[in-house]
Amino acid sequence: MDRELLIEIGLEELPASWLPPLTEQLGHTLGESLKAHALPATESIEVHGTPRRLAACVPALADRQEDRDETLTGPPVSAAIGPDGQPTPAGLGFAKKQGVEFRELTQIETPRGKYLAFEKKSRGRATVDVLPDVLTQLLRTLPFPKQMHWDAELHDGRGELLFGRPIRWLLFLYGGRVVPYTISRTALAASVKVQDVTSGAVTYGHRFLATSGRAGRAIKVRGFDEYKKKLAENFVFLSRLERRDRIMRELDGYARKVGGHVMLQQSAQAEALLGEVPDLVEYPSVVAGTFAEEFLSLPAEVLTTTLIHHQHSFPIVDPGGALMPAFLAVTNTQGGHDKGIATNASRVVTARLRDARFFWDADRKVGLEARLARLDTLTFHKKLGSYRAKSERVAMLARWIATDVFGQPEEVAAQAERAGRLAKADLATDMVREFTELQGVMGGIYAREAGEPDGVWKAIYHHYLPVGVEATAAPARADLQGAEVTWAAVSLADKLDTLAGLFHAGARPTGSRDPFGLRRAAHGVIRVLADLEALTGLTVRPTLAPLLGQAVKGYGAGEPGHVMEDGAWADLTGFLSERLAYVLEARGADRRNVRAVLSGSVDRPVADLASNLAALPEVAGSESFLALATAFKRVRNIARELPDAEWDEQEQHGPSLGDVLKDPSELALLAEIDKRSAVISQAVMTGAGYREAYVEASKFEPAVEKFFTDVFVMADDLPLRQARLRLMKRLERLILQLGDISEIVASE
Amino acid sequence: MTFQDLIFKLSDYWSAQGCLIQQPMDIEMGAGTMHPETFLRVLGPEAWNVAYVQPSRRPADGRFGENPNRLLKHHQFQVILKPAPDDVQDLYLQSLEACGIDLRAHDVRFEEDNWESPTLGAWGIGWQVLYDGLEITQFTYFQQAGGLDLTPVSVELTYGLERFAMSLQGVDNVFDLEWARGVKYGVVRRRDEIEQSQYAFGQVAMPEEEFGQFHRNLFTQFYDFAGTLLESGLTLPALDYCLKCSHVFNLLDSSGSIGVTERTAYILKVRQLAVAIAKAWTTPPDAISALAETGDAPPVVTDRRESNHGS
Repeated sequence: MDRELLIEIGLEELPASWLPPLTEQLGHTLGESLKAHALPATESIEVHGTPRRLAACVPALADRQEDRDETLTGPPVSAAIGPDGQPTPAGLGFAKKQGVEFRELTQIETPRGKYLAFEKKSRGRATVDVLPDVLTQLLRTLPFPKQMHWDAELHDGRGELLFGRPIRWLLFLYGGRVVPYTISRTALAASVKVQDVTSGAVTYGHRFLATSGRAGRAIKVRGFDEYKKKLAENFVFLSRLERRDRIMRELDGYARKVGGHVMLQQSAQAEALLGEVPDLVEYPSVVAGTFAEEFLSLPAEVLTTTLIHHQHSFPIVDPGGALMPAFLAVTNTQGGHDKGIATNASRVVTARLRDARFFWDADRKVGLEARLARLDTLTFHKKLGSYRAKSERVAMLARWIATDVFGQPEEVAAQAERAGRLAKADLATDMVREFTELQGVMGGIYAREAGEPDGVWKAIYHHYLPVGVEATAAPARADLQGAEVTWAAVSLADKLDTLAGLFHAGARPTGSRDPFGLRRAAHGVIRVLADLEALTGLTVRPTLAPLLGQAVKGYGAGEPGHVMEDGAWADLTGFLSERLAYVLEARGADRRNVRAVLSGSVDRPVADLASNLAALPEVAGSESFLALATAFKRVRNIARELPDAEWDEQEQHGPSLGDVLKDPSELALLAEIDKRSAVISQAVMTGAGYREAYVEASKFEPAVEKFFTDVFVMADDLPLRQARLRLMKRLERLILQLGDISEIVASE
Repeated sequence: MTFQDLIFKLSDYWSAQGCLIQQPMDIEMGAGTMHPETFLRVLGPEAWNVAYVQPSRRPADGRFGENPNRLLKHHQFQVILKPAPDDVQDLYLQSLEACGIDLRAHDVRFEEDNWESPTLGAWGIGWQVLYDGLEITQFTYFQQAGGLDLTPVSVELTYGLERFAMSLQGVDNVFDLEWARGVKYGVVRRRDEIEQSQYAFGQVAMPEEEFGQFHRNLFTQFYDFAGTLLESGLTLPALDYCLKCSHVFNLLDSSGSIGVTERTAYILKVRQLAVAIAKAWTTPPDAISALAETGDAPPVVTDRRESNHGS
């Protein structure tokens, strides 16, 4: 018979950011644990999370494991039975291990011969007896971003139980009955005040609110329906969706009351806050606070950061989009005491804003440039010196990018250099020391206040962008007006300098550890280069390798190979290549196509990879192209026989291929190559016409096929063999300009 | 409720919970965590429950008595419960009720905020407790101190007394707080804030380089002597000198007397001392451990009422 399983893990407040992924993992982990214990759930598991509880319900779970028939293989019959037909010690040992008499064993045929076997019939255990093991596995495998010691242990042979937060109660019901379970406390801690956590049939409502009786008292429940009902009565919205809806409704209502609306669409910060608040409360209510109008003279960025980041409150904007001197806070209360809470909250916001205004006035008095000196005391990285040194490198690199890569005149280069030099100065301002999330933005604002031109202040303001691969991560063209080119130069210079420096210092990311945000920096570089024309109007098509090389030079004189060890340089370029693949795939390209166009990627214009990738799928489906892709693998294998140096030598000084080759099929292929190379090379050189190039390339296919049918490359005649190898290599080189198309037919 | 009443209320409450009421450490420090009643007592297996006020000096936070929310020296009310009792959150919330807060009429929340002190080699998991959006307490389950794993786990509650009192009294400027009836916080403390800020930012009748050199020398002397004390098996005096080092370092930092590389090196030195002291404390020489055994058993939080999970 199927019965309901209900588990609630009662916890001290979990971090809000953990809840959505953790709740999802709860269902997954419980499902896995049930499966591992031969108790698969027949219906989907319902899961919920609030700051103080993780709850899962399996509506129908069989009350017994399935019976299991398995064949256990023992030693070979030849070793288990002696020449006399009697069981050997090995044979008897296997029987003993299975707890049966030797005669109960059977023999089975295997590819390696006859083996002794035991047909084991296991009767499934009662679910209620298995469930404790299911919970143990669940508790052991729930993935927390960070675990803590809380003096708890399980008797599963693994000892201490680390967890996200201390567990304070366990609701553990199967078919309405408590499944006995105990989390023990370690000997050093166990006492009257530190006791085992034992499973029960009770839950707890809101910390402070109750319709009747004392808040926080134990509430008895027998099943999931009653559980949900009792929690609702005791001021807990179990469903995150309901909490979010209620917050949205209340925010909307309150904002309208003061004649504005909640700042949401305009602010990614506010949107992120809306994603967070449902996981900070069990019973959300909104209160409205105000602050003095005089603070509206602060930059909007400072106001919104204070409200959103520091006070977890929502700014309100008037119909014209301007900030109003009011905010909305989401609380974990019933309402009815709004005034007192709002007064207190307003006082906190006012204190923050007063601080901010103090910083605003003080910083402007000092000026941004004067802050540069203080960057001496700010470490960029312990092996790479201070932010002052970084500022100098970024300034010179930004100038070099503006002139040598973007081909800009001196005035633009001078602005890029200045923006690069000042970009990090705000790290030493009072405002950014307090409001670190305003770095960049604040520097831009201070530069503007100091009268710097658009090309400088806007470049500083946006230089951290783009921070990700999403379409919204880059600044809008309208916001950059007058600073498109200098912004691109500084944004690239900052990130390239960080990448080069940290690889130089041996701090490359490993696994999930990326403390310096190098992946993000790489994604930023790639995005700027890939979308350069759309973002800035520049039509140059920079490649990664020279940019990286120049950034490496910033750390010392000389060529890349001299400053940076070859291993680190290979790591750095390999890392960028890998990140390129990631970004291209994140933008929806097929993995195999990405691998095809990525060969030698750091030496190709980044912007071309996208147009190349856009063209490839158009031809990749055609039969002749697929056949060519298949043949290309063979071409590459053969071409490998001719070392690069030797090929270069022969192409320059060797006999003309047309004089040595004699088979009509190979002469035909040579003619094809001569005929089609122009279109392909032209496309690669200009970055346009990849589609035509691929169409042209696929026309090789009949000639290639005929060549392989008629010609044996490794002929005994040495000059002929060399010529044929050269032909293969020529074809390889030509097609490789487009990409290693053999990848598109590679198995995943 | 006056500032001093708040101290009395918290002391009474935690005393009733079985805490020893200790006195502030008589050496400058940045936080109550550095007091031996916390830093040393959380080490090792023995139960320990203690509460005390600790004046905490942070030279870089000095604002010459001009900023209504910032102080060079503020007061922390520090509670250590070891091992952390199951109902520690409830015990904490009741302490707020003891101070007159109606939990139903306010928004009291535990929001993730893990604590870390690189100089002490210490970190913990926990929350900042928000009272209508104001951070009034840091609530931490200690995981490591002096680089040592902690079993059992201690809980540390650190109330920021000025902030808490400002909220209870409804004042916007710390110097307007009533310390005692009719006596304002500003009368008691403003001059100290002004003069200490001037010192902290190097506004002293002494050339800048000399100021830096003088404090560098102090640090070196304190540091070397702490080492000598450790070699002599004198752990508590060594901690005194470690704290002096930490404070001198803070002064070097606030007065802008040290550069980037030096700064990291100083932090590392203090940390090395803290780690060595923690190690020495947990493995005392025989003579000291024999002495310790003659003392009375530490107090235990009395089981005042049955455990529950709400307020």
